[in-house]
Amino acid sequence: MDSRPGDETLLLAVAERDMGAFRTLYERHAGWLAIRLARRCNDRDLVADAIQDTFVAVWQKPQGFRGDGDIAAWLWGIAIRRLVSRLRTRNSVAAVLENAGAAPAAEDQVLLSVEYGDIGQALSRLSPEMRAVIQAVVLDGLSAKEAAQLLHVPVSSVKTRLYRAKAHLRAALAEGPS
Amino acid sequence: MTGWHLADETLRRYAERTDSLAEGASVEQHLLSCGQCRAQVNAAVDVIDLAAVWDRTRDTVEVPRPSMFERLLRVVGLPAHEARLVAVASAFRGVWLAGTAAVLAFAALAAAVGHARGLWLFLAVAPIVPCLVVASSYDPRVDPALAPELVTPYPALRLVLLRTIAVLALALPTVLLLGLFIPTEEPFAWLLPAVGFVAVVLAASTWVSPLRSAIVVSLVWLALVWLLEAQSGSPVAVLQARAQAGFLALAAASFLIFLLRRRRLRQVRPWR
Repeated sequence: MDSRPGDETLLLAVAERDMGAFRTLYERHAGWLAIRLARRCNDRDLVADAIQDTFVAVWQKPQGFRGDGDIAAWLWGIAIRRLVSRLRTRNSVAAVLENAGAAPAAEDQVLLSVEYGDIGQALSRLSPEMRAVIQAVVLDGLSAKEAAQLLHVPVSSVKTRLYRAKAHLRAALAEGPS
Repeated sequence: MTGWHLADETLRRYAERTDSLAEGASVEQHLLSCGQCRAQVNAAVDVIDLAAVWDRTRDTVEVPRPSMFERLLRVVGLPAHEARLVAVASAFRGVWLAGTAAVLAFAALAAAVGHARGLWLFLAVAPIVPCLVVASSYDPRVDPALAPELVTPYPALRLVLLRTIAVLALALPTVLLLGLFIPTEEPFAWLLPAVGFVAVVLAASTWVSPLRSAIVVSLVWLALVWLLEAQSGSPVAVLQARAQAGFLALAAASFLIFLLRRRRLRQVRPWR
């Protein structure tokens, strides 16, 4: 993108202890990371803490990025795990997917059918608990243990729900459009 | 980057969390690879105060990395600010600890090789080491960093107790280990008096400076050992069963006084 330094260049500068580059990296990524985390945890303070932890980790170990894939994806991997570990130390807070229950609006259905075929509809029929597990494990790439900590349920529940959710999706997709 | 970008409306729904899971997942997947759309989402952030978090982040990375000990405390579960408060105690600075260990090792060595005064020396020194270390771990004169900390409205009791426990966790194993080399039937007989003296120092520090009380306690103890040694020819007498019960009572009574007078801890600051 234009003449601005790329994220890789910034990260190299951060490794050289360049505070300006670090700041630019923060400004480019902290915002969307915060929104994405906030969709997984209602506690704003925890989200803020996780963002802080994430960038402190980046500053301390910029070489953790091994040059494969997008820096954004790498940052997200750190951020969601920082959130999980923050949640683990403060077990009174519940992570909830507030809006997981809302059915997609009509215009969304069009968008979804373009992008996903019937998966969008199939997903919207899952219970919020199952969707939360699908989101944590399939979409966010967390392990069953990490997902359990994020959602405050036993690991065994994560596994059962994931298994059932997959079965539901499979059945819904086999059924064809309703 | 693809030429395709998310519609403003889609991004708005995403930021407001009014979309479906599938749409959200689609947005998230696109955001990972599209800086332009990320920039647009960034502009709409209202979930957290990004500037404030930046300030905290910068402050965190600009201070030197916490010491090994401080990180250990955090692993054990102490919140970061408390780990810092506990760890800045001067007793944890390597030199102090090394010096203490050297004195003890010297005494233990003397006892181990059967030097006439060796056992005497160890029994005299071992019980007072913990209370001296504890006292210096929160005496503002030893540790200038403490003065502002005790002025802040931080529960002084919690600070003092946390430091005491942390210091004992470091000092006791050292002394215990050295005690193994001492050729006596009861190598750990000094433990109870040590605990008793720590409690006395805690209680006394509600009146006077902790270091001063620790020094007084040490002197009294040394005098007692010296007296007994002169009388019975064996310093072990002072550590016999009957005496042990006395030390236990001393510890209990002192700790009770300390708890009753804990509010004074802050009032006597800054110990001049």
